[in-house]
Amino acid sequence: MGRYLIKRVLLAVVSIFIVSAITFFVMNAIPGGPFNKEKATSAEAQRVLEERYNLDKPLGEQYVLWLKNMAHGDWGVSLHNGRDIWNEITSRFAVSARLGGMAALVAIVLGLILGSIAALTRNRLPDRSIVFFTTLGTAMPSFVLATLLLLIFCLKLGWFPVWSSSSPNYVLPIIALSVYPMAYITRLTKTSMLDSLGQDYVRTAKAKGVPGWKVIFKHALRNALIPVVTYVGPMVAYILTGSMVVENIFTIGGLGSTFVTSITNRDYTLIMAVTLFLAILMVVANLLTDIAYKLIDPRITFE
Amino acid sequence: MKKKLVSVLLVASMALGLTACGNKDNSANSGAGADNAGNAGGNANVESTEAAGGDDAADAGADNADNAGGSTLNTDTGILYINLASEPDYLDPALNSSVDGGCLAVNSFAGLYTYDNTGALVPQLATDMPEVSDDGTVYTVKLKESQWSNGDPLTAQDFVYSWNRVINPDTAADYAYLFDVIARNGDALAVETPDDYTMVITLNSPCPYFNDLMAFPTFFPVHQATVEAADTEVPGTWAQEAGFVCNGAYTLQSWNHNESMVYVKNPNYYDAANVTMDELHFMLSADDTAIYAAYNAGDLDYIDSVPTDEISSLNGVNPEFGILDNLGTYYVGFNVNDPIFDGKTVEEAAKMRQAMNLLVDRQFIVENVGQSGQVAADSFVPLGMADGNGGEFKQADTSYYDATATGAGMVEEAKALFEEAGFTFTDNGDNTYTIDPALNLTYLTNDGSGHIAAAESMQQDFALLGINMEIESEDWNVFLENRKNGNFTIAREGWLADYNDPINMLELFTSDSGNNDMQLGKGSSDAAPDWADYDALIKEIRNTTDFAARVDLLHQAEDMLMETGAVIPLYYYNDIYMQKPNVDGIYATVFGMKYFMYATKN
Repeated sequence: MGRYLIKRVLLAVVSIFIVSAITFFVMNAIPGGPFNKEKATSAEAQRVLEERYNLDKPLGEQYVLWLKNMAHGDWGVSLHNGRDIWNEITSRFAVSARLGGMAALVAIVLGLILGSIAALTRNRLPDRSIVFFTTLGTAMPSFVLATLLLLIFCLKLGWFPVWSSSSPNYVLPIIALSVYPMAYITRLTKTSMLDSLGQDYVRTAKAKGVPGWKVIFKHALRNALIPVVTYVGPMVAYILTGSMVVENIFTIGGLGSTFVTSITNRDYTLIMAVTLFLAILMVVANLLTDIAYKLIDPRITFE
Repeated sequence: MKKKLVSVLLVASMALGLTACGNKDNSANSGAGADNAGNAGGNANVESTEAAGGDDAADAGADNADNAGGSTLNTDTGILYINLASEPDYLDPALNSSVDGGCLAVNSFAGLYTYDNTGALVPQLATDMPEVSDDGTVYTVKLKESQWSNGDPLTAQDFVYSWNRVINPDTAADYAYLFDVIARNGDALAVETPDDYTMVITLNSPCPYFNDLMAFPTFFPVHQATVEAADTEVPGTWAQEAGFVCNGAYTLQSWNHNESMVYVKNPNYYDAANVTMDELHFMLSADDTAIYAAYNAGDLDYIDSVPTDEISSLNGVNPEFGILDNLGTYYVGFNVNDPIFDGKTVEEAAKMRQAMNLLVDRQFIVENVGQSGQVAADSFVPLGMADGNGGEFKQADTSYYDATATGAGMVEEAKALFEEAGFTFTDNGDNTYTIDPALNLTYLTNDGSGHIAAAESMQQDFALLGINMEIESEDWNVFLENRKNGNFTIAREGWLADYNDPINMLELFTSDSGNNDMQLGKGSSDAAPDWADYDALIKEIRNTTDFAARVDLLHQAEDMLMETGAVIPLYYYNDIYMQKPNVDGIYATVFGMKYFMYATKN
C-alpha cells in the first residue's frame, strides 16, 4: 500500500505538470488578451502591464518563469484586477466547498437510502416513484432546476430571499447542486443492490437467520458500494469546485464562476491557478477513492 | 482481475486529472452543455456600452415571474438595496474605468466638483467654482477643510499626490490621458499648492470642459498612507478589500466577493449631515434573471438592468420602470482599409458606405431592438452634448440625414450612390435588386441578443439592394481584439462619453487613437481617405483659445468624419432602471453615474 501510494503521488505530480503545460500553451493560443477593453488601454499602459507580468517575453520563457514562481509557492496576482491569486482561490474555494460539501453529503445520504428502498421494493410503488423522480433529476439541466427553484420558493412562496447581503440562503443552491448526483447515486445503488441481493452469500445469510436489516446493510449494501464509490470520488471533487450556473443564479461567489470569468477575461495567471487547483483536487479525490475501495473490500490489493 | 481493476482506475484517474482543466462545465456531472448557455456574457463591467440589449440567452426562466404589478416592497428605511453590476474590478478611482465602478466611486469618494440632482456642476470639496485666469489656462481652486474617513485632514497636497499617481506610467491607469490637458513640470503635473487649501492648476491651453473633468472619478483623491501601505508593486490592491480609507459619503464595511458589498455612512464626510441614507447594500451580479427576480421579491430597491424580453412589457406600463438619458452613440463602423473597397477611389468607397447608411432602418431598430425609447441618430456626436461654448452642440440643422426616414424608403437614393461608385443593378421585379459586381460583407459583433437583432435588421435592409451580409458573433475578448486590429469589414460599435464635450467623441478617430477601430489614417488602402487633415483639425481644436471658433471646428471635424461614411450612427444611448415606489431621491448624470446618498425610503 505504501509503495503504491508513493507511485500514485509521483504519477499525480507528472499528470499535474502535463495539465499545467497544456493549459498554459492552449490558453495563450486562443485569441484575445488580458488587457482588451471596450475603451482601449493606452499603448503605454499596455506596455507597462505586459512588462510587469512578463507577457513581453517569449512563451517558453513565460512558462519557465511561472514554474519557478510556483516552485516558490508564488501564485502571482490576477492580471485583471491585481488581486493576490492564492487569496482569491482559497476564499472562492471556501465558499464552493462549504456549499458543495453539503450538497455532496445530501446527495450521498439520500441517494443511498433511496437506492436501497428502490431495490427492496422493486417494481412496487416506492420503486416506481423513485425511478420517476430520478429520471427527472438526471434529465433536468441544473440551470432549469435552479431557475425553477428560484421561481417557486423565492418569488411565489417567498420562503427565501433571492439575494441577501446579511444572510444568504444556501438551501436552494444545495438542492440545485445535489439533485443530479443524488439521482445518479440512487440509480447506481439500486442496480448494484439488486445485483448483490441475488448473490449466494445474501441467500446464505438469510437462510442462517440473520435479521433482515443486517443482511441489507452489512452484506448487500456494502458490496453494492463499489460502483457507487467509483462515481462519488470524482463527483465530490467536481461539486466542491462549484457550478457557474448555480452560483450565478443564486449570487454565490464560488470557484465555478471565477473560473469561467477568468477565461472570459483572459486572466492568464488566474486561469493557470484555478486549473492547477482543480487538477490537484481531482487527483486527490481519485486517490481517496482508491483507498476507499480497500476499506470497503479488503480483498482488493494495489500490487 | 484486481490488477486489472487497479490499472483501469489509474488510467481513469489520470484521464480525469487531465480533463479537469478545460471542460468542467461540459463534463459528465452537472446539467450538461447547457451550463454554458447561461452567462457567457459574464462580467457586466466589461461591456459598458451594452445598451443594445441584454446578453443573456437564458432569460427565459424569469418571464413567468410576473410580479411587476403589485411590487413587493422592502421597508428597511435606512438601507438601500441596489444592483448595478457584478464584482467591480477596481475601487481605486485612479484605476477604475467602468461606469459601474464610477458609480461606486462617486458614492464613496469626493472630488473637487460634483453634479447635483439637476445635472448641474457644483462644488464638492472646492469652496466655489474655480477662478480662471484671463487667458483661460490657470485655474485656482480653494478647498474646504475636510477629512478622510479615518479623521486625517484632507489637503490640496492629497490631490496633487493622487493626480500625479494617475499619470505615473507604473500606475498604468486607463484614464491617464484625461490629464493631458494639464501642463507638466518635468514628469509632474503643473499643479501648485500655495497653501494647504489652495490649488493652482496650469493647463496647456484653455479647456472648456476642465470643470467637468474635475468631477470625474479619476480626479478623486486617494489616501496616500493607505495606498502606500499596500502592495505598491501592483497598484490598486489597497482598495481590493473592505475597510480602506476614503473621503466620500460612504465607506465600504464589508465585501463578499461576487456576492455583496455593504457601504455604511461615513461620519467624517464633509456633507454627512445631509446624507439621508444610512447604508447602501449592493448585490454583485450580472445575471439579469437573478437581478430581476431579486427586485420582484423585494430584495432590491433599485436595479439598472432587466431581461431584454421584459423591456417591452415594462416600458410605459410599469411606473417603476424609468429611462435616463445618456451621452453616447450606438453605431456601426466600417474598416476603411477593407478589401471590399479595393479598386475604388476614396470618393467611391465613401459613397458605398453612405449608401448603406441610407439603407439602415433606424426606426425599426429603435422600436424593436432598443425598445426603451432611444432616439434614432442622425449625427455621431450625441444629442444633448454641450458645445463647450455655453450651448448645445447638436442643432436642428446639424443632422446628416433624416434618421426617421432611412431604410426601405431611401432605396433609390442608395442605389444612385452605388451606381456612382461603379455598381450596376438589375431589378428583380419584387422591389429587390441584384447588385453587380456582387457585394458580400461580414458583420462582426460580440455575443448578445440585442447586437445580433440589430445586425439582422440591417442584413434585411442591405438585402434590398442585393447586398449579402453575414453576421459573425464572437466572444467579447476576441471581438475587441479583432475590431481593434481592423480584422473586420463592418462591426458594431458604441461609445459612452466620459465628459460633456464633442471632442470626447471626435478624438476617437485620430490616427493615433487606440479606439480608431475604423482604421482611419492607419492603413495603406488607396480607397481610404487621407486623414492627416483630420488629425490636424483635432489638434487645432485642442489648442484653440477662441471657444466660439472651436464650435465651428468641432462641426468641421464631425462633417469630415460623416463624409467618409465610415460610421453609421444608429441611436443615442439611454439607460433603463427600475426603482421601488417607496424610494425617492436617487439621481444620475448623463455619463451614467448614480448618486444614492440623498435618497429617501419609507
